[in-house]
This record gives sequence, C-alpha cells and structure tokens, in this order.
Amino acid sequence: MSDNLQLWLLFFAVGLGTFLIRLSFIQLHGSAEALIARSKHILMLLPPAILAALCIPAIIFTRPLTAYQVDYFQLLAALVAILIAKFSRSVFWPVMGGMLCLWLLRFISS
Amino acid sequence: MKDYRKQFWLGARDLLPLISGAAPFGMIVGATGISLGMSPEMVMGMTALFFAGSAQLAAYTLIQDNAPFIIILATAMVINLRFSIYSATFAPLLGPLPKRYRFTLAYMLSDQTYGLCSMPAQMQKTTAERVWYLAGVALTLYVVWMISVGLGVALGAGIPPSWSLEFTIPLAFLAMLVTTITSRLLFMVAIISGSCAVLFQLLPFNTGFIVAVTAGVGGGVLLPGLLKMRGASHE
Repeated sequence: MSDNLQLWLLFFAVGLGTFLIRLSFIQLHGSAEALIARSKHILMLLPPAILAALCIPAIIFTRPLTAYQVDYFQLLAALVAILIAKFSRSVFWPVMGGMLCLWLLRFISS
Repeated sequence: MKDYRKQFWLGARDLLPLISGAAPFGMIVGATGISLGMSPEMVMGMTALFFAGSAQLAAYTLIQDNAPFIIILATAMVINLRFSIYSATFAPLLGPLPKRYRFTLAYMLSDQTYGLCSMPAQMQKTTAERVWYLAGVALTLYVVWMISVGLGVALGAGIPPSWSLEFTIPLAFLAMLVTTITSRLLFMVAIISGSCAVLFQLLPFNTGFIVAVTAGVGGGVLLPGLLKMRGASHE
C-alpha cells in the first residue's frame, strides 16, 4: 500500500464511502422511518465500542505493539486524562493533562 | 432572510470554543501524515476526502503496516459508521432540502456538528432556523479543520519524537470515550470492546479492531436480555 496511485484510489474510496454513510438516512428520509427506529438502538452502541477499541491497546502497550510491553507511565497519564474528562466536556484539557503527566513521569524517572 | 443569517453566525460563534479540541487534533493529523513520508498534497487531499480525523489517523497506521486495501477501507468505514447516527438525527432537517444543499451539508456532518445541533435548546427553533444554524457550525468547522491540518503539515516533522506526540491520539479517543459513556450498558460495551481489542491485537492488519467493535456492539445488544433472564430465574 505504498504506491501513490493506489493510495489516491484508497482515499477516494474511503471518501466516497464516508460520504454515503453520512448521506444514508438523510437520503432515505420519508421512506425508511421504521428502519431508522430499529437501527438507532444498535448505532448508539457504536461510539463507545469504537473508541475503546481504538484507544485501550495504544494506552496499555508501548509501540511497537508487537512487543507487548506494558507502559505504566502511559497508564497513569490515561488515568489523569479520565479524571479531567469527567469534569471538562472538551477533549483538549484531558489530552493536555495526560501529556503533562507523561512528560513529568519520564522527566522524574530519567 | 436577516434572521436566517443571524442563525448562521450564531452557529459559527457557538463552534468557537470547540476549536480548542479540533485545532490541535487537526495539527496532529497533518504533522503525523508528513512524518510518515506523505507529500503535503497527499495529506491535504486525504483530509479533504475523508473529513474525518479518527479514520485518517487509523488509516495512517494501517498504511504504514502495508495492510491490504480492503482492510484499510473496512476499518475506516467501521470508524465512520457513527456518522449514520448523525445522518438519522438530522434526516428530518436535511432530507427535504434541494440536492446540492443536502449533499454539501451531509458531507460536512461531524461529531461537533452533531453535538451542537442536537442540543435541547435547538429544538425550540423552526426547521429553517435549525438548518441555517447547522450550516454555520458545519462550514466553520470545515474551514477550521482544513487550516489546522495545513498548519500541522507546515510544522511537519519539526516536532522532536521524544515528545511522544503520537500519544495524544489515544488520549483524545479516551477523552471522547469518557463523554460518550452515559449509561451502565454503554460502559459494558466499552469494557467488552476494549478487552477484545487487547486480546486480539496480534491478529494481522488491525482485524482485531473490527472483531472488538463487533463483540462490543453484540454484547450491548445481547446483555440487557441475558441479565433480565438471569434476574427472572432468581425469583
């Protein structure tokens, strides 16, 4: 997947697919009320499932992931981020707090 | 007409506080693309076509791993499936619009647009007012997003690797995860999906991700019924 033409093809395919997902129910409006009602329950479960699958392995293990090395500093930083996220609705402050914690821990231990 | 223009700018203004989250994320997306050896045109083209930061970050990792075309496409689609919720939410607003507006606004749907435009306060407005407000939010976010990715591209690989900036990506996903968990069921879904992602992460080309999401959603569908059954048998 390093050939440039192939990458552009990929980008166009993902772009088109994403657009179709975004358009889906808007386009069906008026003809698929029952389908919307039925799928909405399942669709509501998606965000936590996706986000957890994306972030949890990357937080527990250091890169490269194949080494399976648990990183305790990253775990502590994530804990700080969770605590901040409980109070602030923004994404920015948990990320800042977590990164500061990570840098501090690495600075102390070095 | 004047009132509608007011709604447009109201949407643009309400988006401003959210820039603190979107802009750094966009800069990470831009800078990471450059650090993987992609040309600035490619990163910007990819950004315009995707207009979805999390899918773009996931795609980077897979491109780097030389994953097959179909796996990258499938992963990006699964991550972007959440947009169908937004599509269903705004279908009554955007469905009746003429094609060019319908398509343009659908293309610009995002997490931020969903967050702002589905607030209870919006429900008291007329449909036309809500459409203009949504257009203000969506267009402003689009411009902000493109500019911040561009800034990231310009900064490029100038950021030292020892800062571990790539760790901001899982942290950002984690922060979003905390805000999406609003019930015990959603918490269980996250736990199932997260543990499966850890268990199956050695599967080739990130297919463990798709397995984990499927398991999480499957658990979310089945658990309420199973727990009710167990509760009933105790009585």
